[in-house]
Amino acid sequence: MRFELDEYAYLDSPLHRWEPRFKLIGLLVLIFAFAFIKDLRLVPVVLAIAATLYFLSRMPLSFLISRLRYPGFFLLGVILLLPFFSGETVIWQWGVLTLRQEGVLAMLLVVGRFLAIITTALILMGTTPFLTTVKTMRSLGLPSLIADMTLLTYRYLYDIAANLSTMQQAMRLRGFGRSPQKKYLPFMPDLRELKLLASLAGTLLVRSYEQSERIYKAMRLRGYGSEKFKVHPVYAGPTSSPATLRTWSGFGLVCTLLIATGLVVAEIL
Amino acid sequence: MHIPDGILPASVCIAGYAIAVPVTWYSLRQINRLKDPTEELPKASLLTAAFFIASSINIPVPPSSVHLVLNGLLGCVLGYFAFPAILVGLFFQAIMFGHGGLTTLGVDAVMMGIPALVASHIFQFRHVFRQKLGEKLATNVFAFLAGALGLGLAAVIFFFLVITNIPSGFDAQTERAAVYGLSLAHLPLMLIEGTFTLLLVMFLQRVKPELIERRG
Repeated sequence: MRFELDEYAYLDSPLHRWEPRFKLIGLLVLIFAFAFIKDLRLVPVVLAIAATLYFLSRMPLSFLISRLRYPGFFLLGVILLLPFFSGETVIWQWGVLTLRQEGVLAMLLVVGRFLAIITTALILMGTTPFLTTVKTMRSLGLPSLIADMTLLTYRYLYDIAANLSTMQQAMRLRGFGRSPQKKYLPFMPDLRELKLLASLAGTLLVRSYEQSERIYKAMRLRGYGSEKFKVHPVYAGPTSSPATLRTWSGFGLVCTLLIATGLVVAEIL
Repeated sequence: MHIPDGILPASVCIAGYAIAVPVTWYSLRQINRLKDPTEELPKASLLTAAFFIASSINIPVPPSSVHLVLNGLLGCVLGYFAFPAILVGLFFQAIMFGHGGLTTLGVDAVMMGIPALVASHIFQFRHVFRQKLGEKLATNVFAFLAGALGLGLAAVIFFFLVITNIPSGFDAQTERAAVYGLSLAHLPLMLIEGTFTLLLVMFLQRVKPELIERRG
């Protein structure tokens, strides 16, 4: 099973070769520096930085666009609401529709920050295999329980989704949701349907719970939880990398930290 | 109900992490006090995945449909595992679908996770009222309250954070009115979430009572 985000994790680019620990720290600091921006003049700068990084990652533009599909609804909401409802300085009016300067500026800031952050986050997650990312976070101090939970949840996510899909298909084949003669009250869910959907969700939980008992037994048989059993990070860290790669990774980290510091200083000044 | 990247200033995002870290630490501490935390880990992980998937079920509310948050139910079933479970679930939603975000992960976790822990404690009150109300009624009442209040609290935190942090010219009165108005608009959703939690707890009581009793 390959995680959807791992689709382009095995390309060859400077960002793919960047040592994961340095990359995680560097890009996370950069992401927070983007969130720090309030001055509209810095928005083109952060967008240019994010676009350059994305170009360097060699991931196709279609990948970024596909990741923007769901958050696009949020973007649309911001674009449609803020310019018309926020602020006092009217710059254009047509009937009840009033475009306000403060709202337009706020919209540009939010959209600019959002695009820069989401692009950089995609570079962070998309240029490293997901398992390596979790192990890197573990090596940086993420509690083992949360790392294990993340990996186990990830492992069974698609199985459970397939399970739900099968159950929903079975419900539909038995006629669920097809009662055209039935009268529905507006804004009120049908109690019988709600009961059936609760049973559907409940069955999913029960099946997952029973599966987890089998998984736990299998894990115990393989030594999980015993004192001798230690989860060694598969990713061995910078010591396993060639010296030149380490140097370039360190250089990349210093560059991103300098850029992030520059943005914060520019914002403060 | 996720706050996406870009809408909140960095200070609020960092404050979110600053609250999420001690709450996670406290939850982990409580989990480590369990008899065998490693036994609970696969259960919590698979239930996290199941909740993550179950929250995608469409509930028909004519003329449209809604998705449930299920954080109250998560609190009822997972107890102290609810907070790490929400953290993990939100992480996946952020990186897989762009719901929420990495900068707002702490804020989103606090917004959904703390109400889930509150819901978990509300659900435990069924033991206190067991004698007065009878076991079945007490469980049903507190399951409903846990589900409804889990969502209600999350909605109040969500609207407060979004409206007070949008970088624009809303005055304080408008902000307050918007927070109250949008929170009140969530009352029907709280009823639906509470009813769904109640129905699901009733189902689990019939089919697999240990799922809700094991944290009692």
